[in-house]
Amino acid sequence: MDPLGLARTQFATTTSFHFLFVLLTLGLVTLVAVMQTRFTLTRTPVLERMTRFWGRIYVVNYALGIATGIVMEFQFGLNWSGLSTYAGDVFGAPLAIETLVAFFLESTFLGLWIFGWGRLNRWAHLALIWLVTVTAYASAFWIMVANGFLQHPVGYEEHDGVLRLVDLGALLANPTFTAAFPHVVGAALTVGGVFVVGVSAFHFLRRTPEVDFFRRSLRLGVVTTALATPFLIGAGIAQFPVINHLQPGKMKAMPGLGIPLSFMMLIGVVLLLASWITLPLLARDWIVRLRFPLYLMVFSIPLPFIAAIGGWVVREVGRQPWLVYGLLRTEDAMSPVSATSMLISFLAFTGVFAALAVADWVLISRIARRGPEPETAPQPVSALALAL
Amino acid sequence: METLWIVLLGLLTAGYFALAGFDYGTALLFRLLGRDDRERTRALGAMTPFVLGNEVWLVAAVGVLFGAFPRLEGELLSGHHTVFVLIVTGLVLFTASVQLRGTNPAWDGPLIAGALAVAIGWGWLAADLTGAPPLLWAAGVVVLFALHGGTFVAWRLPGHAGHRARVLARSLVLPSALFVPAAVLLADPVRHSTPGLVGAAAVLVLVLGAGVTTGRTAFLCTAVACALPIPVVFAAQDVVGPETMAHGTTLSVLTPVVFVVLPLVLLFQFATWWMVRVRHA
Repeated sequence: MDPLGLARTQFATTTSFHFLFVLLTLGLVTLVAVMQTRFTLTRTPVLERMTRFWGRIYVVNYALGIATGIVMEFQFGLNWSGLSTYAGDVFGAPLAIETLVAFFLESTFLGLWIFGWGRLNRWAHLALIWLVTVTAYASAFWIMVANGFLQHPVGYEEHDGVLRLVDLGALLANPTFTAAFPHVVGAALTVGGVFVVGVSAFHFLRRTPEVDFFRRSLRLGVVTTALATPFLIGAGIAQFPVINHLQPGKMKAMPGLGIPLSFMMLIGVVLLLASWITLPLLARDWIVRLRFPLYLMVFSIPLPFIAAIGGWVVREVGRQPWLVYGLLRTEDAMSPVSATSMLISFLAFTGVFAALAVADWVLISRIARRGPEPETAPQPVSALALAL
Repeated sequence: METLWIVLLGLLTAGYFALAGFDYGTALLFRLLGRDDRERTRALGAMTPFVLGNEVWLVAAVGVLFGAFPRLEGELLSGHHTVFVLIVTGLVLFTASVQLRGTNPAWDGPLIAGALAVAIGWGWLAADLTGAPPLLWAAGVVVLFALHGGTFVAWRLPGHAGHRARVLARSLVLPSALFVPAAVLLADPVRHSTPGLVGAAAVLVLVLGAGVTTGRTAFLCTAVACALPIPVVFAAQDVVGPETMAHGTTLSVLTPVVFVVLPLVLLFQFATWWMVRVRHA
């Protein structure tokens, strides 16, 4: 493969992996914040144990996901220096805000949440998880602002062959951003909901004694999915007029893009129907007694992830051959580095990412299978707090 | 305006090296600090509460680099492609292994390898920029980080591990001190020799200072000694020039963000330190 092919494959692979981490992080942190809020208000012990159990899975995913985020950030400068040279003034602004407002603050808040467990006032501790949640969504917000600019550049002027930012408001009002951001939020909440439902269903199938624990978790997951999917699908459909207007060539750009698109839509509709059919069956635990739906729930865990990758492929591949739509071609943005250097970074990054994804899923499924620890022996919410 | 952003970039970079430096240093040393696995886990556990907060200083620095110095970002990273691939791969390995290790020593290998790769990578970058031998700088940064990790554990942990850390740190003072003049003498002529020489002298004094002090003072000495080298090399070679900066509108958009975020980060990171502070009996 030539350096351009390597650089593109590397970006596609690493971004896909990164997106898997991000979706679960966003979805789970919201549910954890809801659980902790209910615990703080009612002081019901099972809600604290739920916060701890799901919070532990969330922290593992976050801490490994942050590693993928670091690579993403460096990758622009490493392999696509043409982008920062030509459009860095505009594209770099939302990206810098993202790292400062979101990444920098989010990790700081999360670190304090982990070590504040049992040390801080419970309302202060609750405020921290909501700060983590808000900064996590702020991260998605600013990344989508940056991505929206690549899809449909606005708010700039060109001087001496370089773009300058003239209007941040235009970036924020960019239809390719405003249409896509709600869709991403819906996708993240769906991922979180389906994940919690699937793990809870697994424990009902295994007849884990923690019935109340997983009944509450399952309900929260089903309700989240039922509320998120109509929003997700609505926001998805609302993007078609925007794309037809601003990127008319998108669907024709690459033959075969219709396949991930229809597969993604099929998964969305299936999850919408399934969650709404399940809602009435939550009464008197019918869904648990029927048993068969529990298998479907466990097997559904990967579905929203697959759909999300499908959606991302359509958005990003459909932008080609442009990196900044209509302004900068992908091939012109590549860094002037040798084929060998590109091959080294390709092998290093994709290898490390694949290993990270495997480690993440092995660790998460181990924690998920083990279930919550007994009430009498609570474990810290993160391995990072072990020795304290 | 320009000066503000250059100072800010320097501050974030220095913050990263001062904080993450002891992450990597502790990872390099902790196997030597305990007689059994329980003690080693405890030595490592002195550092792990700070990992998330420490590593993001680099993320913030690169964010500012991208937003405020877009033309430098592309040039610097793609110009030192393999070096940064090494640093980033090491970072990922390190961050992930810290999380995965917990009490499982099977992850010690990847953890140490990650820390080593990051330290070697930064040393190699400084060598590339100054024309000094990469091996010298790689070894120098590894030793500096290890010294910093040593003073950190010595300050934070009472008992055997803390004592071992103090002994190890003392033994690393001389190699660290020798590295500084060697890096100066073997460098090509730099653009601005004054900041280079002043910086090198400061690092030398601080390293020697860490040898004659203990506890928090020694830790603060090595923190500043770790923070200085890369920003000093950047200053000596005039890497960060105004011509690489973004234009006015971009900077005026970013300025208020920084003034809100930076105090918040400092406040909350301080809260983390305060919460897991050393309790003197």
